[in-house]
Amino acid sequence: MKGKHDKFKSPTRRQVIGGIGMGTATALLGMPLVARAQSEPIRIGFPTPLTGPFGAEARDQVKSAELAVKQFNDAGGLGGRKAELLVRDDKLNAGEAATRTLELIEKDKVHAVVGALSSAVQLAVNQVTRARSTLYISISQSDTINEVKDWSRYTFHEALNPHMTTAAVAKHTFKKGMKIAYLAADYAYGHEMLRGFKRAQAAIGAASVGEILHPLGAPDYSTFLPRISAMKPDILCICNFGRDQANSIKQAVEFGMKQQMKIVVPVLLHNQRLAVGPEVFEGVVGGANYYWGLEETIPSAKAFNNAFRAANNGAIPTDYGAYGYTGVKSLLQAITAAGGTETDKVVAALEGLKYDVAKGPQSYRKCDHQSIQSVLVLESKKKADMKSDVDLFRVVATEQSGEAMLRTCAELGFPA
Amino acid sequence: MTIQPIDSTSSAKRPRLAIDGLMRTASAWRMPLTVLVLCTLPWVLPSKALAVNVLIYGTFAVGYNLLFGYTGLLSFGHAAFFGGGAYLTGMSIVHFGFAWYTALSTGILGALLLSLVMGVLSIRTRGIYFSMVTLALAQLAYYTALQASSWTGGENGLRGFTVSKIDVLSLQIDFLNPLHKYYVVLLFTALALWLVSRVLKSSFGAVIEAIRENEVRARACGYNVERTKLLSFVLSGGICGLAGGLSALHLAIVPLDTLHYHTSGLVVMMTLLGGMGSFFGPFVGALAFLVMEDVLSLWTSHWQLFVGAIFILFVLFLPKGIWGTIMGLGDR
Repeated sequence: MKGKHDKFKSPTRRQVIGGIGMGTATALLGMPLVARAQSEPIRIGFPTPLTGPFGAEARDQVKSAELAVKQFNDAGGLGGRKAELLVRDDKLNAGEAATRTLELIEKDKVHAVVGALSSAVQLAVNQVTRARSTLYISISQSDTINEVKDWSRYTFHEALNPHMTTAAVAKHTFKKGMKIAYLAADYAYGHEMLRGFKRAQAAIGAASVGEILHPLGAPDYSTFLPRISAMKPDILCICNFGRDQANSIKQAVEFGMKQQMKIVVPVLLHNQRLAVGPEVFEGVVGGANYYWGLEETIPSAKAFNNAFRAANNGAIPTDYGAYGYTGVKSLLQAITAAGGTETDKVVAALEGLKYDVAKGPQSYRKCDHQSIQSVLVLESKKKADMKSDVDLFRVVATEQSGEAMLRTCAELGFPA
Repeated sequence: MTIQPIDSTSSAKRPRLAIDGLMRTASAWRMPLTVLVLCTLPWVLPSKALAVNVLIYGTFAVGYNLLFGYTGLLSFGHAAFFGGGAYLTGMSIVHFGFAWYTALSTGILGALLLSLVMGVLSIRTRGIYFSMVTLALAQLAYYTALQASSWTGGENGLRGFTVSKIDVLSLQIDFLNPLHKYYVVLLFTALALWLVSRVLKSSFGAVIEAIRENEVRARACGYNVERTKLLSFVLSGGICGLAGGLSALHLAIVPLDTLHYHTSGLVVMMTLLGGMGSFFGPFVGALAFLVMEDVLSLWTSHWQLFVGAIFILFVLFLPKGIWGTIMGLGDR
C-alpha cells in the first residue's frame, strides 16, 4: 500500500512517518503488488445502476464497455498487458456509488474508474476519486461537474453536458420571434436543461411565454397541459428524462397539442421511443450523443456498430450505451499513449488525446476536461418512413461543439 | 468457565451449566468483547469500506432500536436524524470551515435539537399515527434539503468537504487510509454502544421497557410517560445523528437520499432482521444486511430477489431475528 502511494506523488515527511507507522505487516502486504505492477492487468472500475429505473441504459453501457475492453485485449493489450472491467451495481444511489468506488480503489486497486449514470451519482464518484488521485471518466450529463468547485485534475467528462445539448437543439429549432413554453422536471436535470434552453432562446431572440415545473416521476400531466395550450407557444420544450419523457409526450399528443406547436426535448431517448411507439414521437426533435444511423456517414460509427452487432446477436448500440464504449476506449487509447497506467502520464495523455472511436473526432478541453464532440439533432420518424424496427430517427444536423457552444473557462470559474 | 462437561451421561444439566457460565461471563464482558470482535472486522469482511458502513449503519440501527425495540415506538422518520446529522456535519465544514470534531459535534447537537422538536410534535400520538407523523416530519426535512440547494447542494447532494487528515492531540492520522478511518469510526461506535448499554442498564432503561410492556400500568406507577418517551426519542435521535455525521466523514459526500424515507425503511429492516429489543440484534442485522447486499450484488444483478426472499423467510420463521434466535437457543 505504501509503495503504491509513493508512485503517484512524492511523499512528505509526515506521510513517510505515517507509512512506517502503519506497520511492517501492511508494508509486506503491499510489496508483491509493486513487484507485480508491470505484468498485472489494467483494471477499470465501472459503477453503473444495473438495478433501478435506468437499468436498461446501464446494461447497454456495460455491453459497450465490455466490447471496448475485448477489442483492446484482442489487439494484444498494452504490450501483452490485458485490461479488465470490474462492473459494480451502484443502485442509482450516490452513497452506494461512493462506497463501491472506495472498494474499487482500496480493495481492487483499479487504475481508473469509468461510469455512473446520474448527475448526483457521478458527482459522488468524483469526490471519492478526486481525494484519492484516481482517474475518472464520467459518462452522464451534468453541467455541475464542469464547474471549478467540483473540478478534479483526474476527472474527464466524456458525456455531453446540458449546456451544449440545449444549445445545439435550440439552434436548429428556435427562430427569432418565436414563442417558447417550457415544461421541466423539478430536479437537477430539468433545471440544468431549462437553464440551457433559456440562455439559447435569449441569444436567438425568441421569447419565453411561460415555464411550468412538474414533480419528478409525475404520471399525470393533465393539469399542466391546458395551461401550456393557453400560452399559445410555437414550441413546447419538455425537459425531463426516462419514463417522464414518454408519459408527458404521450399525454401532450392526446391533448392534440402537436397540431398547435412543435415539441422539442433536450435528449431524444432511444429506449423511450421504443417503449412508446412511432405515432407518439413522430416529429419530436431532440439531441443525442450517438445514434446508430451515423454509420452511413462516419466510418468509426460503422466499425463500432458492426463490432457491437457481432458481440450482441445483431443488437444495435443505444445513445447512453455508446458512452460506455467511447469512455473506456478513449481511456485505453490514452493508457497506450502513456505507455502505462501511471496516473500523471495518463492525465497528460488524455489532455492531448485526439480520438475518433464511434462518432467522429473528439478531444478534451484543457480547462474543464469536457469532451469536445458533436451533438446530434434528431427528429423522430413517421412510421411510414421507417425502413426497419430500429430506424427511429432522422439526423437533422450534426453540430460540432467548439468553444462557441460551451460555457467559457472563465464563466466556469477557471483562472484565465 | 471452569465447569467442564466431563461425562455426558451423568447429567443433561452439566453442559447447560457450562454454556450458562460462558454466557454470563460473556455478558459481563460484553463491551470489551464487542470491541475485540469489531477490531477484526476489516479483515473478515470483503472490503474495508463495507466494514466502515457496517459500523455506521450498526450505530444507526442500535440508536433506532432504543426507540423501536425498547420503548416500543415505531418511527418512520429516523432518516431525518441520520440525514440531519450528516448534512450538518458536512455543512459546517463546507460553509464554516469547522474542524472535523466540531463539525461532528454540530451534527450530533443538530440531530438532538431536531429530534426534540419532532419528538414534542409526534409522541402525543400513538400507534400508526405516531409512525405517520414521524414520516411526514421527516419528509419535511427531505424537501427542505432539496429546496435549500445553495446550502445543501440540492439534488446533487452536499460535496466538497473531504477530510483527508485528522488531528488527535498532536497525532496526525491519514483519514484517507481505509484502516485508519475504520478505527477512528470504531472509536465513536464503541462510545455509542457503551452509552446505549449504560442507558439500558439504568433505571431509565427499566422504565422505557415498562412503558413498552404496558403504558397504562407504567403511568399508574407514577412515571411521567410522555417525558420518558420524549427523552428516549431524543437519545435515539442523537445516536442516529452521530451515525449520520460519521457517514458524512466516511463518504465525503451527503447524498440527498440520506434523508429519503427509504433510509428510514432500511433501518427498520435491519433492526427486524437482527432482532428488535435485543441490544446487539440491530447491529448484527446491519452487518448481515450490508454483507448480503454486497456479496449478492457482485454475484448477480437480480440480488434484490434474494435479499427479499431471505427477509421474508426471516419474518416467517425467525421472527426474533438473527441475534434474538441465537440468544433464544440458550434459554430453551
